[in-house]
Amino acid sequence: MEYNEELVAAITKAVLQQINEQNVSQTDRQHIGSAKTSYANARLAEKSTNPKEVVVGVGPAFQREIKATITGIPLDDVLRNIKAGIEEEGMVPRIVKVLKTSDVDFMGLEAAKISGSGVGIGLQSKGTAVIHQKDLYPLSNLELFPQAPLISLEMYRAIGKNAAKYAKGEKVTPIETQNDPMVRAKYQVKAALMHIRETEQVDPKIPIIVWEEA
Amino acid sequence: MKLIAGVDIGNSTTEVCVGGVASDGTLEFLSSVSRFTTGTKGTVDNVAGIKTALEMAMEKLNRPVGDLSLIRINEAAPVIGDTAMETITETIITDSSMIGHNPSTPAGAGTAVGELLSIRHLGQGDTGTPYIVVADRSVTYEAVAELLNKAMERMQIVGVILQADEAVLVENRLKKKIPIIDEVRNVDMIPEHKMAAIEVALTGDSVRMLSNPYGIATLLDLDAEDTKAVTPIAKSLIGKSSAVVIKTPHGNVKENVLPAGEITIVSKDGNRRTINIDEGAVPIMNLLEESGEIQDMVGEAETNVGNMLSGIKNNMENLTSEQTGSVHITDILAVDTLAPVLISGALAGETCMEKAVGIAAMVKTKQLPMERIAQVLTEQIHVSVKVAGVEAVMATLGAMTTPGTTLPLAILDLGGGSTDAAMIDETGTVRMTHKAGAGELVSMLIQIELGLHSRTTAEEIKKYPVGRVESLFHMRLENGGMHFFEEAIDPRLFGSVVLIEPHDLIKIEENVAMEKIIQVRKEAKQKVFVRNALRALREIAPEHNIKKIPNIVLVGGSAEDFEVPEMLMEELAKYKIVCGRGNIRRTEGPRNAVATGLVLSYIGGKHDDE
Repeated sequence: MEYNEELVAAITKAVLQQINEQNVSQTDRQHIGSAKTSYANARLAEKSTNPKEVVVGVGPAFQREIKATITGIPLDDVLRNIKAGIEEEGMVPRIVKVLKTSDVDFMGLEAAKISGSGVGIGLQSKGTAVIHQKDLYPLSNLELFPQAPLISLEMYRAIGKNAAKYAKGEKVTPIETQNDPMVRAKYQVKAALMHIRETEQVDPKIPIIVWEEA
Repeated sequence: MKLIAGVDIGNSTTEVCVGGVASDGTLEFLSSVSRFTTGTKGTVDNVAGIKTALEMAMEKLNRPVGDLSLIRINEAAPVIGDTAMETITETIITDSSMIGHNPSTPAGAGTAVGELLSIRHLGQGDTGTPYIVVADRSVTYEAVAELLNKAMERMQIVGVILQADEAVLVENRLKKKIPIIDEVRNVDMIPEHKMAAIEVALTGDSVRMLSNPYGIATLLDLDAEDTKAVTPIAKSLIGKSSAVVIKTPHGNVKENVLPAGEITIVSKDGNRRTINIDEGAVPIMNLLEESGEIQDMVGEAETNVGNMLSGIKNNMENLTSEQTGSVHITDILAVDTLAPVLISGALAGETCMEKAVGIAAMVKTKQLPMERIAQVLTEQIHVSVKVAGVEAVMATLGAMTTPGTTLPLAILDLGGGSTDAAMIDETGTVRMTHKAGAGELVSMLIQIELGLHSRTTAEEIKKYPVGRVESLFHMRLENGGMHFFEEAIDPRLFGSVVLIEPHDLIKIEENVAMEKIIQVRKEAKQKVFVRNALRALREIAPEHNIKKIPNIVLVGGSAEDFEVPEMLMEELAKYKIVCGRGNIRRTEGPRNAVATGLVLSYIGGKHDDE
C-alpha cells in the first residue's frame, strides 16, 4: 500500500468527523442519573462545640438519588445503625450532607472538622465508609472500610460505636473486616456508575448542609 | 597484632568480644556484638549464632573471620532454665445463679428485685408482681422499648437483661428509668419465673449491694443459712460494674481446688520432703530453703507438675545425650500468680482471676558438650577454638573492668534463664551459685496475668515503659508526665496504650489499662529478680550474711532493664552495699562481661594453645 499526503489527510478527516459526532452525542446526555437536585435553600451545617458529638457526613446523592448501597441495603437502615452505635456509647450523632466532594476520605474529614469532638464518619451512597479525625491529612484516617459490598448492617453499627469510642478517647479495637479479591472485579462497573451519579450531585458552592434535623 | 575473640553463650543471647594483642603483650578491645542464641544453650545448634556474631564483630573491623588467631568459649555453667504455669483453682457457676461481667455501657444505675420474664411472655405477667424482663438479640432495641413502654402502663417492670449491646439505646427510649444490663451472651440459659436481683453501678463505681452477702440477703429475703451460702457469689461480684443474682435452690459459685500434684525434694543428705503445688509459692520456697543443698526434684507421676519436671529432664537428656537419670533439677523458683480464666457455667462469658503457681526450674547436667561445639566451630571456620574458663569467674573478671570496683567483689548475673551470683575475695577464692528464674519467668508472669496472646508482647512490656496516646499530638507517660509530638503520629495509635521504644511506639492490641500493665510488670520483676538476688547473695556471702558483701556489680541482659537495677539498689541499700549496673570496659554497660573476661584471661594465662 502506498502512503501519501492525501491518504493521511483523508484518514485525519474521517477520524475528526467521528470524534465530533461523539462529542455531540455526549453533550446530549450530560447525566447518567437523574437531574441535579438543587440545595439552594438548604441550611449550611456549622461547627459545633458539643464534645459529645460525632458527625456523619453522607454523600451528595445519599437518600435522594441513591436509596440503597451497592448490595441493596437501604440507606435508611445504614444510617439508623450508625446512629444507634454512636448513641449506645453515650455520644450524640449529627447528620450532615457533604456536597463539596464525593470522595469518602474528604467527606469524612469535612464531617470531622465541624464535629464538636473532632471525630467524623464519611459515608458514600454506595456504602463505603471511613472514620476520620480533624487533625489528620485527608487521605489518612482512623479506620477505613473500602469494600462496600462486604459491609453488613452489624458492621455499620460497629462503625458508629468505634467512632464514638475514638471521640471519647477510649481504647478502640479496629473492626474486623473481610477482604475478597473478587469483589473489585464483580462490582467495578456498578461502583463506577454509582460514584458518577454521586459526583454529578457535587456542588462546591454549598459545601456542607444540615441533613437531618436533630 | 593477634586477634582474640571471646564468646559467651547464654540462655537468650550470644555475646562476642574481639581484642587485639600487640607483640609487647598489651591488649586493646576492638569490637563487641550481641546476638540471639540459636538453639538451647550448650548444644551444637549454637554454632550458627556464634558464627553470625563473629562475622558481625569482624565486619566492624573490615576483616574476615579467618583473621582471628583464637576463639575462646566459656565453660558454660551446665544450668538450663525452663518455665511453666499451673492453675490451682477453678470457679464454677451452677444453675445459672449469677451474671457478673463488665459490659462497657450498661444503663440506669440502681438496684431492683423482680421475677424473671421473657419479653415474649410479657402478656402472661400479673399486675401485682415486679418483673425483670429478659430480651434476646432477635428483638430490636426499638421493639424492646416499645413493648416495655406499653407493658409498663399495666404492670411493674423493674429491670432489663439484654443479649445485644443496646442498653443505652433502650434506656433512651424508655419513659421510666430502670437498671438495664446488656451483652449477656447466653441469655437463653436464664431460668424464667425465678426471683432475681439486678444492680447497675454508677459510672466509674462498682456494684455495692450484690457484692455484699447482706446486700443480697436484703434484696432476696434470705435467712442466715442462705446468706452464708451466697457469700461466694458476693465475693465473685466484687469490682463488677453490673450484676444479676438469681435465686435458685442449688445455684451457687464454687471455687474448686484442682489437684495440681506434689513435688518431692531430695536433699544431698538423702532426706526427702514432699509438698503439694496447691499450697502456693511461699510454703514451697520455705521447704526448699529447709532442704539445704538439693540433689534432685521429682514431680508426682501423671500430674501436670510431674509431666513438666520430667519433660524438662527428658529434653536435657536428649540434648546432652546423657543417660537417663543423670540429669537433675537442682533449683526451682515458685511464684504465686493470678490467671484470668473463663468461668464454666457463665452466662456472659465472665472470667475469674484464678490462683496459679508459676515455676522456673533449673537443670544441672554433668557437663555441657562445649568441646563438641568448639570442634564443630573449628571445622566450619578453620580457626582454633578453645574452651577456657568457668563462666562465673570470667564474668567477675569482666565486671572488674567497670570503673570504681575493687576486691572483694560480687557479681549478680541477671540473665534470661537463671540468676547467677559469684564472689571473688582478695585471695582469688571464688564462690558461686545458680538460681532458677530470671527474665523469661518475668515474661511468663506478665503474659499470664495480663492474659496476653503472645509471649513477644509480654517480652516487650517487660523491656519498655508504657504511655497512653491521648491525641494525635500528645501522649500521657506512666509517671503522669505529658509528651508532645512534633508531628501528628500514626492514627492507628490513637487512644491506645503504647510501649515507648527508643525510636518507635508499639501498640498493645489487648484491652488492658495502662495502670494494670505497670502494676503487673513491677510486681513480676519484684517477685523474680529481687527474691532471687537475695537468695543467691545469701548463698555466696561470707557466713551467709549479705552485709559482709562490700560491693556488687550487676551484669547480664536483664541488668539493662530500665527498672530492675533500681529495685535491687533500693533493696540492697538496706544492707549498706554498694550496688549498681556494671559498665564493662567503660563502654559496654552490663553486657559482654563474660566475653570480655575470656579475652582478658588470655593475657593472664599461659599460651600453651598456640
